[in-house]
Amino acid sequence: MGGVPATATARRARPARDPRPRGVTLGRVVASEADKLTSLRSTGWLALATVAAAATAWGLGMFARPEPGASGAPIAVAGAVLSQLGFLVLGARTGADEYRSGTARSTFAAVPRRLPVLAGQALVTAAAALVVAVTALGAAVAATAGLRAAAGLALDVTDPETARLLAGFVLHQTGVALVGLGLGALVRRPDAALVAGVLALVVLDHLLATNPGRVADTARALLPGAGARVLLDDGRLDALAAGSLGPHPGPWSGHLVLAAWAAALLAAAAYRLRRGDVT
Amino acid sequence: MTATTAASRRARPTAHRPADAGGPTLPRVVAAQWTALTTLRSSRWAAAPTVVLPRALTHLSAQASSVDPGFDPLGSLTSGVVLSQVPPLVLGVLVGTGDFSTGAFRTTYVAVPRRWPVLVAQTVATAAFALLTAVAAVAAAVLALLPSARSRDIALDLGRDGTPQTLVGMTLLLTAIALLGLAIGALVRRSVPALTAAVLLVLVLPVVLLLATDLSTDPLAPATGGVPPAVAVVNTVVAFLPSGAGALLTADVVVEGAPDLGPWGGGLVLAAWIALPLAAAALRLRTRDVV
Repeated sequence: MGGVPATATARRARPARDPRPRGVTLGRVVASEADKLTSLRSTGWLALATVAAAATAWGLGMFARPEPGASGAPIAVAGAVLSQLGFLVLGARTGADEYRSGTARSTFAAVPRRLPVLAGQALVTAAAALVVAVTALGAAVAATAGLRAAAGLALDVTDPETARLLAGFVLHQTGVALVGLGLGALVRRPDAALVAGVLALVVLDHLLATNPGRVADTARALLPGAGARVLLDDGRLDALAAGSLGPHPGPWSGHLVLAAWAAALLAAAAYRLRRGDVT
Repeated sequence: MTATTAASRRARPTAHRPADAGGPTLPRVVAAQWTALTTLRSSRWAAAPTVVLPRALTHLSAQASSVDPGFDPLGSLTSGVVLSQVPPLVLGVLVGTGDFSTGAFRTTYVAVPRRWPVLVAQTVATAAFALLTAVAAVAAAVLALLPSARSRDIALDLGRDGTPQTLVGMTLLLTAIALLGLAIGALVRRSVPALTAAVLLVLVLPVVLLLATDLSTDPLAPATGGVPPAVAVVNTVVAFLPSGAGALLTADVVVEGAPDLGPWGGGLVLAAWIALPLAAAALRLRTRDVV
């Protein structure tokens, strides 16, 4: 009888001599966050809906002007406005769902230093968003292939404008997912984060665009919605710059504005996580 | 003794009413839903910005345009209406999904086993709450016009041509948007998917469709006469979306290329957007399990 506990102790003691560190490491937290995200059935549906939303570029592409020789990239990325909602939901859910369901208590009991959880969520969200965005872009390019061929629009990846639009699509959607994560982790309610994200990314930008003025144009250039400029073709960027009374960031500076928002929101969420109570 | 007294006390109304009058009558369910709605913290959070947003935006817009020579203060009346739709929409979704996200629906439907009175009561309570908020919001928007009108010595004449329609239309629009949110929330039952659908339908789709017209027109080309067919198609679709139909409600605008629905037609389109998901939600509630 007494042999059983001894064996158990010996068996349990062996990993202690293992050189790998015990307890919480960032790698393990990342692995657990990836587990949480991929185990949810709704994540698959969300990814599917996001890819389908990007493929609605097909419907929008039917309005395209035939213009032989022009770039087909603006049409391929036309579903970005719609599909960015999916990325926003992905981030907001990852950041806030655990607070709503109450599993945040176990998570932070397991990782008492807390910040690795947020870092793990950021890594996992960015990776998932990258994968979904590349898939969505592929779906959109495939869905609009017939339309582009009919309108004589080329998709030449060596053309800098085309390359910027296609890479911009993937980077923009990843940035949107991180903004969603920052909002979700900061306000800790997925619905509130979603509404705030849609307001900041789509509605305010659109409202300010329809009421131009020095203040409105300046605000527009500084809101996260400025990140969508990376998805505008050169002609539209010129038209935007010509009509603006405030600063007019270029496509990549606009994307940096979005990235800065994501960083600031994540920093604010980290501050709340570090200093505040987890309820 | 006590049981008998209670039974006899409860028995008295049955002399005049149908046999189940002691149970959940519709007025009682409405009262219960009203209590549930007004005690929620999120209702107050939704009501405050509905009133404050249009006031602030109308004030800013009127101040900005008050230097124009042909300044008409009433022209700025609707400038806050797009943003002020967001809080009622969110409130409606939260009322529709609230019971299901907290688990309180079990108690609710044990108390009201016929179920549909709950949905009717939620609709009535939400409509009443949203209507009160909307009246306050429209009044706040009118008050916000006063400073800039006074600075130019223009008297506000609310009885003039289109203004009564705009005032009534804005009130009805804000109420209808709350009911649309409720209908989507009651149908979907989960707050994040319901909110995504509602936001997509009301706020994002119009912007996406504008993008379609953007693709079809050359930004640097001068405007030519006539409506391009792509613009006509997009404007027709937008007129049949909740936001486009709502815009027809607030002002007598003619959208180029779209069928001229008028305020009544716009109101009917909006009513259909509310009635269809609400009917689907009632059907789901009636024929399917509540989980």
